[in-house]
Amino acid sequence: MPVTTYETLDTSADVTTTRTLLHESIPLTGAIVSGTYGVEGSEDNIKNYTHGMFQSVYDYPYLSSSANHIFDITMGYHSDSVLSSSTSVQNAKKINNYNEFAQVLLGYTASTNTVEIFESDLSFGDNDNQMKECYFINFSRLITKDQVKKGTFSIIVNTGSWVTNNIEKPSYPAGGCITLTDASASETGGTNDAGLAGEYGVLYRDNGDGTYGGSTPATAGGPAQFGVVFYQAGIVVLSSSIFNKLRTGGASHPLNSFWREHSNGFLQGVTGSFTGSAISGNCDALRHRLANISFNNTTEINSTIYFCRATHNKFNYSYNPTYVSSSKMVVKSVAADTPVSYITTIGLYNSSNELLATAKVSEPLKKDPTNELTLRVRLDY
Amino acid sequence: MAFLDNSGDIILDAVLTDLGRQRMAEGKFTITKYAFGDDEINYGLYNKNHPSGSAYYDLEILQTPIMEAFVYSGAGINYGLASYTNTNLLYLPVIKQNQLNTVATRLVSSVYYLAANSETANALGSDTQVSGIAGSGELGQTTKFLVSAATTQQVILVEAGLDTSDLVADSSNRSTYIVANNLLDSTFNVYFDNRFIANALTPTATSVFSNTSGNVKEVSISLSTSTGTSQASGMTNFSVASARGIPDTVYYVSGEGNVQSAIAGPRGSCTALNFTVYSGLDATSTGTTDSKYTLYGKTGVAADTLFPGSTSGYTYDYIDTDVLIQGTTTNVAYYATIRILRRAS
Repeated sequence: MPVTTYETLDTSADVTTTRTLLHESIPLTGAIVSGTYGVEGSEDNIKNYTHGMFQSVYDYPYLSSSANHIFDITMGYHSDSVLSSSTSVQNAKKINNYNEFAQVLLGYTASTNTVEIFESDLSFGDNDNQMKECYFINFSRLITKDQVKKGTFSIIVNTGSWVTNNIEKPSYPAGGCITLTDASASETGGTNDAGLAGEYGVLYRDNGDGTYGGSTPATAGGPAQFGVVFYQAGIVVLSSSIFNKLRTGGASHPLNSFWREHSNGFLQGVTGSFTGSAISGNCDALRHRLANISFNNTTEINSTIYFCRATHNKFNYSYNPTYVSSSKMVVKSVAADTPVSYITTIGLYNSSNELLATAKVSEPLKKDPTNELTLRVRLDY
Repeated sequence: MAFLDNSGDIILDAVLTDLGRQRMAEGKFTITKYAFGDDEINYGLYNKNHPSGSAYYDLEILQTPIMEAFVYSGAGINYGLASYTNTNLLYLPVIKQNQLNTVATRLVSSVYYLAANSETANALGSDTQVSGIAGSGELGQTTKFLVSAATTQQVILVEAGLDTSDLVADSSNRSTYIVANNLLDSTFNVYFDNRFIANALTPTATSVFSNTSGNVKEVSISLSTSTGTSQASGMTNFSVASARGIPDTVYYVSGEGNVQSAIAGPRGSCTALNFTVYSGLDATSTGTTDSKYTLYGKTGVAADTLFPGSTSGYTYDYIDTDVLIQGTTTNVAYYATIRILRRAS
């Protein structure tokens, strides 16, 4: 039945808007990414495609309707990279991958109309700290929501060897885990927004002593920053140089700490893997070295608040069929008694009397001529 | 001393209805007004005789659990709260169907039958079996169904007033409790499904519903096609027609019984309705069956299924549709289910 007792909203006094940021903590353990659902080549939560351009990671065997897409992994290198060669496996696709991410996230150089090159610093136009060989991790919209919260991203990568489940080969000491974090980024600084896909922050090495980056890292030599995270796009660009890190202690090895041992005993370093293995193989290699990823996502909620006012002389009666018995109001004994009603629902209508939104109170609100109520009804978008 | 609760107002999260989402998709989402509802409340739980005093009268009502919001827009607020400036009202009007006058169509199995054409009306009128649509007895043969577009035959007759034996149905109480309290509905809105009903037929200005001082009925009702109203129905596929309220001046006559009005106490106004079915639904049995009968109703139903005891051998197509009659002043409402009936063979 159509309601007929409406109150008109004064758009200047009764309606306002607000913006709220909602954050969720997203922990992605390494066991979900690899190890829980099978061994390399038959992992039920990993989806490879015939085109071989990337690999999708789910939180459950992906053939199940319960599975959620978490992220995709791929890799690539710039055409100017020393790894680029016609003899490299999937050479063109690796270059195409790099170019696609670069053109979408950074854009083109103004002078030569070629794609910008990723850099592990906040100025990608100055051609230092370039990352020409990269892993790319694209997080699903399901978990990043509107964006990754700045200053919360952390990824722990095992830079050592891997046979199965991160078991180190005893003869080659572990390269050790390295933690990368964007702790230097915040809502007020530490990011670059000159690209095409929003802001990015730099992933610095966590020295484990409360400091980040620096030229004399506590654990190993090499660069202090290894990648960038694009907050709005939900994409992490990780330099392959993270695996060139020298092992802590022990003897040096020509493959540094990273190596893959194939079934025939063939060993590859990260350079050999980038050139000699397919994209999916490289994705496997990274995936099995991911110990943990964590960040907070952000959902931006824009709300309209409608102030629905029940003044003292309004809404004190009801059309509820139980309100009268033989036409006599059941809440009164004599005419002088105060009328009373109880609010349980607020309906928001358009000019055509169509009910567009409904709000409920948690318990009935008593309304009589001695009180006034202002109910703030919030509609989120 | 503890702090007073100064939270002030109450924040509520609203959910969009199905219609709200549709309007948003269309880019026509603009909220302009609001209303309050109390559908979960059973005011019968209000205990005016609670031994602990007035603070406890509504103890049970305040404990009523509230359901989450419905997405279906039709279930959002069914009744709503009312605003009357007079806080000394004790009686509120109701609206009831009248089944006492010969002009008033009778409910048959809780529905009003509406013959889609004269062929159907003739079939129904000739079906004189005791259990049939017309039946026998005091009501005659035609009081049990409406005829599409007829302006001088049967009507749906409803009355609004104070249905209480506390107040005598005289002129004085009508003035005191209805007119003076602005509880007189001089017009009614009629909501009907425009897929099945083309027009509502409503009372002309010459219609009368009264009695004499000797308690003789003075009932004269004629209808004409209602000029539509620009008021939005708020319901998908429903149109609104405005129906004149006929002053219901049937008064109590000392020593006489009430044989004319459905309202026990002071009467305010009444209205009478008939309908014109949508073009196509009125095809005769030799014509084409409108697809709406198949989509929204039933086809080829034997007469003795609808009217047990009928021996006519006819079959019928029918569609059931709801009509809402609502007083524009008091908002009291009455739902009528109309069964649009067409003789199929």
